[in-house]
Amino acid sequence: MNSIFTSIKRTPYQSFGSLLILFFTLFLTLFFFNTTSFFYGILGYVETRPQVIAYFDVRAEEGDIVKIKQAIEKTGKTTSVKYVSQNEALSLYKKLNSDNPILLEMVSANILPASLEIYATRPEFLSEIAQFLEGQKIVEEVNFQKVIVDRLVALTKTLRYVSIGVFGFLILMTTTVLITTTAFKIAVKKDEIEVLQLIGASKGYIRKPFLSEGILFGWLSGTFAFVVHYLIFFLSLPTLKSYLTGIPQLSFFNLEELGLFVFPPSLLYLALTYVLIVLFGVLIGLFGNFIATSKYIK
Amino acid sequence: MILFEEVTKHYSTGTIALDNATFQIDNNDFVFLVGPSGAGKTTILKMILRQAQPTSGSILVNDINITDQSFKKTQELRRQIGVVFQDFKILHDKNVFENIGIALKVTGATDSEIKQHVSSVLELVNLPDKKFMFPVQLSAGELQRVAIARAIVGDRNIILADEPTGNLDPKTTWEIMKVFKKIEGEKTVIIATHNVDIVNSFKKRVMTLAGGKITKDKRGGKYEL
Repeated sequence: MNSIFTSIKRTPYQSFGSLLILFFTLFLTLFFFNTTSFFYGILGYVETRPQVIAYFDVRAEEGDIVKIKQAIEKTGKTTSVKYVSQNEALSLYKKLNSDNPILLEMVSANILPASLEIYATRPEFLSEIAQFLEGQKIVEEVNFQKVIVDRLVALTKTLRYVSIGVFGFLILMTTTVLITTTAFKIAVKKDEIEVLQLIGASKGYIRKPFLSEGILFGWLSGTFAFVVHYLIFFLSLPTLKSYLTGIPQLSFFNLEELGLFVFPPSLLYLALTYVLIVLFGVLIGLFGNFIATSKYIK
Repeated sequence: MILFEEVTKHYSTGTIALDNATFQIDNNDFVFLVGPSGAGKTTILKMILRQAQPTSGSILVNDINITDQSFKKTQELRRQIGVVFQDFKILHDKNVFENIGIALKVTGATDSEIKQHVSSVLELVNLPDKKFMFPVQLSAGELQRVAIARAIVGDRNIILADEPTGNLDPKTTWEIMKVFKKIEGEKTVIIATHNVDIVNSFKKRVMTLAGGKITKDKRGGKYEL
């Protein structure tokens, strides 16, 4: 530990530069990670809503509707297909308009259409299911959240690609900066390294302080990035909540049974992101300094 | 034992640093390497340390051919050797104890072993009261004594000194040589020097080099070019 602090004291600007670039990388990584997780959470939430609703002709026979239901289930592209009969539709209508007796008087089960509420296994199947239903003679109308889901799918896909691109660039940039600053630190310690080599120190012994410094910087930057990121997040939480009225919780990749929620972040999710960001910081710090010591300590 | 067999060293610049040198230095021998600058004294020390490789010939240290292509134990070799330089090469951010202890630390010695060995070697170089001082607080002579302590501490049985008194005044030079005198007969000591008085007063084996050739090799010899 002493040698690390000595190294920081000897090269304060280089050390600060390394810390700053690591912080920047980890902060952006955390931002992209959380944003991607958030959009996947939104997508997961939308997927839990009825995704396709097919309304049938009021004269349609229940047997014909059930046949269509079975045909859809056979495709294996749905997680559930719920049949809502005309009577059930009337019950729902009554429940929704219980405070308006005039509306209730005007309606009977005969004029309300039976429907199928379909949940797809993947949003990509929604179009296909809707097309199939539109092709049925007894189907009068098909409603599905195509636009929302399509946009969300496109957005999450784009975000994933952008994140991978930015992530790759950040790793490259950080590694390059770390190699350069560590090379400078090695140059500053040139005489000491020479003495160590002459008295028989192993390569590992000489490299150890540089690698430990990489680990320490990774841990410090990761912690700092985590604190700053969530400070900003919690400060903007009231605004975010006003935009997401009606959405109680967003799970992390549908892992709600594990207690992993992106929004509002659960304690477990916070712990997971902290561990991941610190681990990533440590790995990148170690990697950068490992490359530098391999190249510059002969 | 150190054995040089027909060792030649040519540098890429065309300089011949050593020309077909053959000699043997027995265990616990005390040898002075003398000769003008560029005669090959430092090259011999560098080759024993494996800092430089001969162009031809072979070098054996304790019966191991260190010039062999398959020799991979440079670190182990260097852990048997202590080196003293003209410019001391003391680590400035470490105190006296740490500067000496590092020679043991790199070999994997425990803290108690380091403490014990460093304390005894500090007595030998007469610096027990300067244990926790930093290099900036020491005189040149004290710095060189720290360097000698670092070279002789522990099991290092070959001591190489390249102009160890080159930067010191006559009085300090003699103090330093007294330290070398103390380890005479306990370790192999090879000192490259220009100092005529020291060589002549010690009356030890003197190897004279000129143009990369060993021109004289005499026990109880004198500084003669």
